[in-house]
Amino acid sequence: MILPYIPIWTVDFIGAILMIVFGFLCLKMIWQLKNRQPDNVIWTYLLWFCLGMAVFAISRSAGHILKQLFILSGNSGLWASIRPFSGAVNTMTFVMVASITLFFERVWKIHQIDLKDKQALEQAHGELLYLNQNLEKLVADRTEALAVSEHKYRRIFENSRDMILVVTNEGYIVDLNPLGCEMLGYTDADITALDLRFQDFFVHQDDWTSVLRSVESQGFVLNAEVELKRIDGSHMQSLVTGSLDRGLRCEEATIHFLIKDIEAIRHMEKQMAQADKLASIGQLSAGIAHEINNPLGIILGYTQLLIRGEDQDTERHEDLRTIEKHVKNCKAIVEDLLNFARSSAPKKERIRINRVIEEVVEFFRHHGDVSGIDIRRVFDPAVPPMLLDEKKIKQVLINFLMNARHAVGDAGIIRLSTRWDSEAGRVLITVADNGYGIDKKNLSRIFDPFFTTKPTGEGTGLGLSVSYGIIINHGGDISVSSKSGKGTVFTIILPVESPAEEAN
Amino acid sequence: MMAILYRIIRCVAAATVVLLPAPALATQGHGGIEGVYVHQFGHIFFIVAMGILIFWLRERRLTEKSGWRYIQYTAFFFILWNLDAALVHFLDDQTHLIRVTRIDSWHIDITAESGPPWLAVVYYCAKLDHLLCVPALWCLYTGLKRLLAETAAGGEGGS
Repeated sequence: MILPYIPIWTVDFIGAILMIVFGFLCLKMIWQLKNRQPDNVIWTYLLWFCLGMAVFAISRSAGHILKQLFILSGNSGLWASIRPFSGAVNTMTFVMVASITLFFERVWKIHQIDLKDKQALEQAHGELLYLNQNLEKLVADRTEALAVSEHKYRRIFENSRDMILVVTNEGYIVDLNPLGCEMLGYTDADITALDLRFQDFFVHQDDWTSVLRSVESQGFVLNAEVELKRIDGSHMQSLVTGSLDRGLRCEEATIHFLIKDIEAIRHMEKQMAQADKLASIGQLSAGIAHEINNPLGIILGYTQLLIRGEDQDTERHEDLRTIEKHVKNCKAIVEDLLNFARSSAPKKERIRINRVIEEVVEFFRHHGDVSGIDIRRVFDPAVPPMLLDEKKIKQVLINFLMNARHAVGDAGIIRLSTRWDSEAGRVLITVADNGYGIDKKNLSRIFDPFFTTKPTGEGTGLGLSVSYGIIINHGGDISVSSKSGKGTVFTIILPVESPAEEAN
Repeated sequence: MMAILYRIIRCVAAATVVLLPAPALATQGHGGIEGVYVHQFGHIFFIVAMGILIFWLRERRLTEKSGWRYIQYTAFFFILWNLDAALVHFLDDQTHLIRVTRIDSWHIDITAESGPPWLAVVYYCAKLDHLLCVPALWCLYTGLKRLLAETAAGGEGGS
């Protein structure tokens, strides 16, 4: 088949020239890339790749151009002698290009590692630069935040209404808040100077052992009720909660305690128990008194009828009088019981307590054998008019005076005084005597119904109970202090209602 | 006894080598068609290398960038060129299926000596191999040019 040679010659000749041109253009491009990013290993790889391609293009194209020139000039024989050499070089060049190509995978991985390292380096550099530029501000901000935090927790520590205590494992006090110092009766300087241990404040050492064991085993102790002693030797019922702090770097551990003073709570609980007891007894007494009162009235009535029909000098008349006297005693007891049990609201009116006391004292002087008793009165003229049930208050005062008279015997001193506590808005009425006093063991029972130390027949044991009920109904309270053989002081505390409260 | 025996064996061996020499025939000759085979293997190796390059470029999604996409085309054109060149070598150098005779300066006679006549046309077309390798290098040039532009625009280029 005869075919034109021109197309083959043209494509071969021009193609060979173009191969050389593009080979050099590729080298130029990759050279620019390499110059722009000299550290980029991918460009280094492509540089080698392009170099291989350029050598391949030159060797191959040079061979082809020579071939065409030799053929055209009729020197085919010369080309035949060069041809094996040209072919061998050509083979070597494209094997070389293919070999370089196969390094792409490895070079790419190196490039990725390089990029990661570069990014990490840039990030670290950026962070360092930021820290360097903002270090002072960062330190200032951090310091301020620390100061605010310190202030906040210091305030909690210092203003807490419970004792906050930090001790070492051995119990040595590291820190104690101001209220804690106040509760225990120490000053801050004492705590620092005396090298005090927390266990020294425990009344019962078993309590401390138990607290410490709980902290060591569980890491905390919750609401342990213990008795602590103050510097003056008095005791304080307390609720202890604490936890172990091992410290930020596990250096010496400390125990943090929160201690509540529950003395007032316990006192209130006792008062509530007392009130419950009185209420129960009151209900019981009222029932009994109501049932007994009517038969007693009938017995007394018939006894008095029988007395009228008897001659006065007869033995029978004397017997009836004895019955009448004891029935009257019984009725008095029943009346007291009913008074104690009836918790009717007091009928209040505005009165001056100093005047009422004066009247009671006068009544007492005229109706009792008090010639050997010195009754002294010290009234505070500032005491304002008070809203009170006058009759009931008089009953209370008479009860106290009767008890005081009994305590002092035939001769002694009874002091009556009033004092206006404007800050608390209350009046304190004191009835003090220098009689034989009340034994410590009886102090907690004196307001119990039917409790009396008087001989049988002389007291019913209802006077103080009734008085206590009356004062409680007025919103007040009674406190007592007594030393056996030295005397007793009863203090009646009554609130003074303001006109606004009165209107309500 | 054994030592004497070993000594005798060593002496006999040494005498044989010295007294009875023969050609060693250690180096193999490389005449004939061996060069053509080497060249053809070179083409196959080139095809494999370009195929692997395409695979890597696509697997790493580099072909989403136009620069690398053109380099992928380079590899593709070189695969075609290698197939074409290998075919031409197979027809005239390896199997001698084609005989080319120059009629004059501007005409050639292509004869398919032991094959179908259209083989001559195939051979004629295959001889125009620059139509494949020139576009391959043009694609490489264009690809590099675009990578350079991407780098100039602030990209990492190779990333």
